[in-house]
Amino acid sequence: MGSIRIAVDIGGTFTDGIASEQETNLIWVAKSLTTPDDPGEAVSIVIDQLLNQVAQQSSTTVEEVVHGTTLVTNALIERKGSPTAAILTKGFKDVFDIRRELRYDLYDLTFRLPPPLIPEERRFDITERISVEGEILHEIDDGELDRLLECIDASGAASVAVCLLHSYRNDTHERQIGAFLKRERPDLMISLSSAVAREMREYERASTTAANAYVKPLVSTYLSELERRLDDLKIGAPLRIMLSSGGFTSSQAAAETPIALLESGPAGGVISALNTGLAAGEDNILAFDMGGTTAKAGLVQNGKPSTTRTFEAGRVHRFKKGSGLPLLITSIELIEIGAGGGSLASVSNLGLLNVGPESAGSVPGPVCYGLGGTQATVTDADLWLGYLDAEHFLGGTMRLDLDATGRALEDIGTRLGLTANDVAFGIHNIVNENMAGAARIHIAEKGHDPRDFTLVATGGAGPVHAVEIARKLGIRRVLCASAAGAGSCLGFLAAPVRIDRTLTQTDAIESLDWDGLIADLQKLAHDARTELQGAGANIDTVNYEVDVEMRYRGQGNTVSVSVPFGSLGSGFAQPLITQFEVEYEKLFGQKVPDGTPEAIAWRLVVHEHLVERRFVRADRQNVDADDSPVRRRKLYQPILKDFVECGVYERARLLPGVHLQAPLVIEEAESTLVVPVPASVSVRDDYSILVELSS
Amino acid sequence: MTSSTLDPISLEILWTRMISMVDEAATTLVRTSFSHIVRECHDYAVVLLDAEGRLLAQSTQSIPSFICTLPATARHILAKFPRQTMKDGDVFITNDPWMGTGHLPDINIIVPIFHKGELVAFSGTVAHSPDIGGRIRSPGIRELYEEGLRIPPLRLMHAGERDQAVFEILEANVRISKQVLGDLFAQLSANKMLEKRLRELLATVDVDLASFGYEIQSRAEQAMRADIAALPDGVHSYKMEVDGFGDPVVVNCRVEISGDTITVDYTGSSEQLARAINVVPTYTFAYTCYALKCILSPSVPNNEGSFRPITVKAPEGSILNPRFPAPVGARAMTGHLLPPAVFGALSATIPDRVQAPPGSPLWSCHLTGTNHGEPFACLFFLNGGQGASATADGYPAISFPSNLGNTPIEVLETQAPVRVLRREIRRGTGGAGASRGGDGQVLELQILADAPVTVSFMANRLAMPAEGLDGGEPGAPGQVLLNGEVFDPREISLIQPGDCLTLATPGGGGFGAC
Repeated sequence: MGSIRIAVDIGGTFTDGIASEQETNLIWVAKSLTTPDDPGEAVSIVIDQLLNQVAQQSSTTVEEVVHGTTLVTNALIERKGSPTAAILTKGFKDVFDIRRELRYDLYDLTFRLPPPLIPEERRFDITERISVEGEILHEIDDGELDRLLECIDASGAASVAVCLLHSYRNDTHERQIGAFLKRERPDLMISLSSAVAREMREYERASTTAANAYVKPLVSTYLSELERRLDDLKIGAPLRIMLSSGGFTSSQAAAETPIALLESGPAGGVISALNTGLAAGEDNILAFDMGGTTAKAGLVQNGKPSTTRTFEAGRVHRFKKGSGLPLLITSIELIEIGAGGGSLASVSNLGLLNVGPESAGSVPGPVCYGLGGTQATVTDADLWLGYLDAEHFLGGTMRLDLDATGRALEDIGTRLGLTANDVAFGIHNIVNENMAGAARIHIAEKGHDPRDFTLVATGGAGPVHAVEIARKLGIRRVLCASAAGAGSCLGFLAAPVRIDRTLTQTDAIESLDWDGLIADLQKLAHDARTELQGAGANIDTVNYEVDVEMRYRGQGNTVSVSVPFGSLGSGFAQPLITQFEVEYEKLFGQKVPDGTPEAIAWRLVVHEHLVERRFVRADRQNVDADDSPVRRRKLYQPILKDFVECGVYERARLLPGVHLQAPLVIEEAESTLVVPVPASVSVRDDYSILVELSS
Repeated sequence: MTSSTLDPISLEILWTRMISMVDEAATTLVRTSFSHIVRECHDYAVVLLDAEGRLLAQSTQSIPSFICTLPATARHILAKFPRQTMKDGDVFITNDPWMGTGHLPDINIIVPIFHKGELVAFSGTVAHSPDIGGRIRSPGIRELYEEGLRIPPLRLMHAGERDQAVFEILEANVRISKQVLGDLFAQLSANKMLEKRLRELLATVDVDLASFGYEIQSRAEQAMRADIAALPDGVHSYKMEVDGFGDPVVVNCRVEISGDTITVDYTGSSEQLARAINVVPTYTFAYTCYALKCILSPSVPNNEGSFRPITVKAPEGSILNPRFPAPVGARAMTGHLLPPAVFGALSATIPDRVQAPPGSPLWSCHLTGTNHGEPFACLFFLNGGQGASATADGYPAISFPSNLGNTPIEVLETQAPVRVLRREIRRGTGGAGASRGGDGQVLELQILADAPVTVSFMANRLAMPAEGLDGGEPGAPGQVLLNGEVFDPREISLIQPGDCLTLATPGGGGFGAC
């Protein structure tokens, strides 16, 4: 009898699930429409399907369920959180209205800002003050706490965010208020800014704490409900929750800081890309995901996904950067690099061909869907170029209208003085150039050369565009995982347990009190170990790393330097300074003469080692292999700038060991891999497809 | 390459790529800067210019006025240093108000970029230095020479070698030299980054930047002309007044729309003053164009072509075209009135596209002194309420027409020996109307230094509020208090340890009758 782990990801349209057998790495895949009113229902359905599938081939017990969800993101976008109150230092309760006083669009007078999550009438202030050095200047008066309690009761709030000035230096007052509220109102959910986002800058910290408090009741209810459902399915296994950081934790810890699971799905996608890369012996990965409305890229260097501490949720104005709520959470860095398949092409008032940011969405969708769309999209261009097949789209379940697409392209062509072919390739090429350009800059900002990376493509439109983007970047290897449609779930299964803890204190490295620092970090490590055990990790084999946020004294932004926890100590000062300066020079071209390097935060990351998993689809085990093309069709070849007939292959029938020569197209239900240039294409033993471009 | 070989697809691809490169250089500037003026308040801009000094692309986040001024600065540099004398690795610097952005604290760095031995482009950066010596910035100053160190166009680096003299003079003349030089290095890093990226682009794409520049500027010009031509011809005037020194400061704005051109004439505005609120012509032009671009063509990526159909006139010797050596340090106090004045004039013909005057000009507070024997110099900004429009209430406390953020209190308290006692919205200070003006804010701080502190402000509309438009009510005026007593912020003052300052910014004007 084997044991299985189950991953379930709730997406906007589908809830995906994968079960994997530990010993064999066999996987079973299931899918159901997402049930927005009661998201747990689709989760139950998917798990039930998976258990049935597994039972036909194997007799097993479920070891754990790893779960990711868009619940938090959606609650913030749709403003479906709970009535939330805030407690702030007296004199500062308008921090949510004053924000940073910046306009994110210089020229648009009609720009909109997101309304604060906590309205003025539910913000209460308390007389207290902590100095910039962390010293208590004014203690909290008990009478004021009682008054505060009355205000909160009267406000009807189910959740409270506590954000006091300088609490990142000294959290005594926040903890005092937290303990008081917990004692007096045990049902009230409490979020302390010093626990949720221990960082300087009051607006961003308050914004993060407010968002955490706002979704906390919802997430807490959802998670306990989900555990009950697992019981109903007779699964005694613990529930683990995927985090934006790319690790997972126990459902109890997730319920405490739900804002940390904001971007769990996309994070799973990057981990999945990394896993596919590792199986092919690659640990420098450019994860590329392209869906209906946007394309995203994430970078993995030496097996380590790049992470960021700033994030923005719920943009209110045309997806513009700056129009959302700022959040300080550790998340795998995914940058938006461009448009998606549904993005609309148009002629700008400068007479140039533009693509996006407006999208046709799923309704009316691209012109070729025949659902009323009249403006050409990226998908229409892909169809016209032969990259998609009108007769065999989505596994032949949907017929596309090629004539309508041609008319829409001609319509744009007339205005630009170009043919439909020119316009179609123009759209395709603009989208690819812009994505490659954005990815190139992102890689350069990290101090790397794109040619050292392997591109891993996911998403419905990802494999259609991946090879061209790789070619533009000088990347020679492109990987396309199996079960790419449920990529986030594969990532959940491959993800390690991970706990993040931060110690904020500013010290010049040369005069640092190493013993004091190590003692403080030990305390955090002890705390993290407890949580790790709760998440099922073997604490004897976990890895302790410290990401040190460093800068030259006087600067405001930092450069992160990663070191093993065990290396810290007084003898480490000089190596740390050297490591910082090397990194600084790599990023910005020159060191600062006579600068004083200092550390402002020590981020302890405790995680399991990421072990590569070679997943094999159980339903692929008994198919008839066939490595001859099922059809041939004309494909636009960007190098020749002309259409040439090429072979079309069916992915399900291509088994490990197959070698093919491109140009060609490989179709599967979820997506189409387009290789429009000379390349060698092979199927690897984990069923992923490797495209090696000729240099 | 002729313009005909740059088709609408290649042009779009190249342009997007250039904007991305400039944005990356701007990120470098922000991330390596030493002053909170750059990294918190975003008082900077980065541009890519062609070999003639014409704008190709600008950073997305930047100060509106700098966009027009940097190309002009590059052309001043070219006028003094002939292009054939420029070498790879040269770096040019100036902060001359008439050649730069209109006041001394803004340091402009222009670097020629070579490709295959030929000068093909310039990178330009400008950042507000945390100090430039002299007396601290105040509207009360009477002569340019009081305002600090003036750096004429100079070679800061000769073919990669630093001119040590310039660095040493700068270092010897400013209060917080570590921050000042640190920011200068940050600018150099940004210029260098842009140079590197452009060279990488030119190594892979065969493009003639001059014809590319010609093409995008022609297209931007045509788009602006079409937008202007869509407006009915006519002449519209608006007069704005704010507190002055004795008499109010007057901005008289006459906008003439004729075919596909616009002429903005400021004749009738105040005479030049022996006070630091004079505005040099490039700044007058920049903020006038900015206002017109917001209304007419907000979505077109910015370049100078957009401004060719616009003529701006201000009589020499007036506050909007002063003669050297007029003091100019607090030029924002007058220059920030230009966009609302243009909006006011155009409200007669396109009321649905304009905004009522905001609680601007921008406010600032500058503190210098010593604490425990250590010198400090700290500048921070505050904004008033946004003006209302036909369709929306104004937001409280938001920067317009500039785009300068606040300094977080937790950061501010590390920059100067002060404790902030409160920062709140001044509820109800926005002007009433069919749409309400945005509210101002109030910030109260206490001096913790152990010695007296020199303080100066930019603070206006203490007597004359932001007017409403189209029947809307004016916003409430602002207030400056010292220990609870009304305080005149126009002159530099010395205040004592333990003193308490209150800065209350004005509300924005309302729009439409209630």
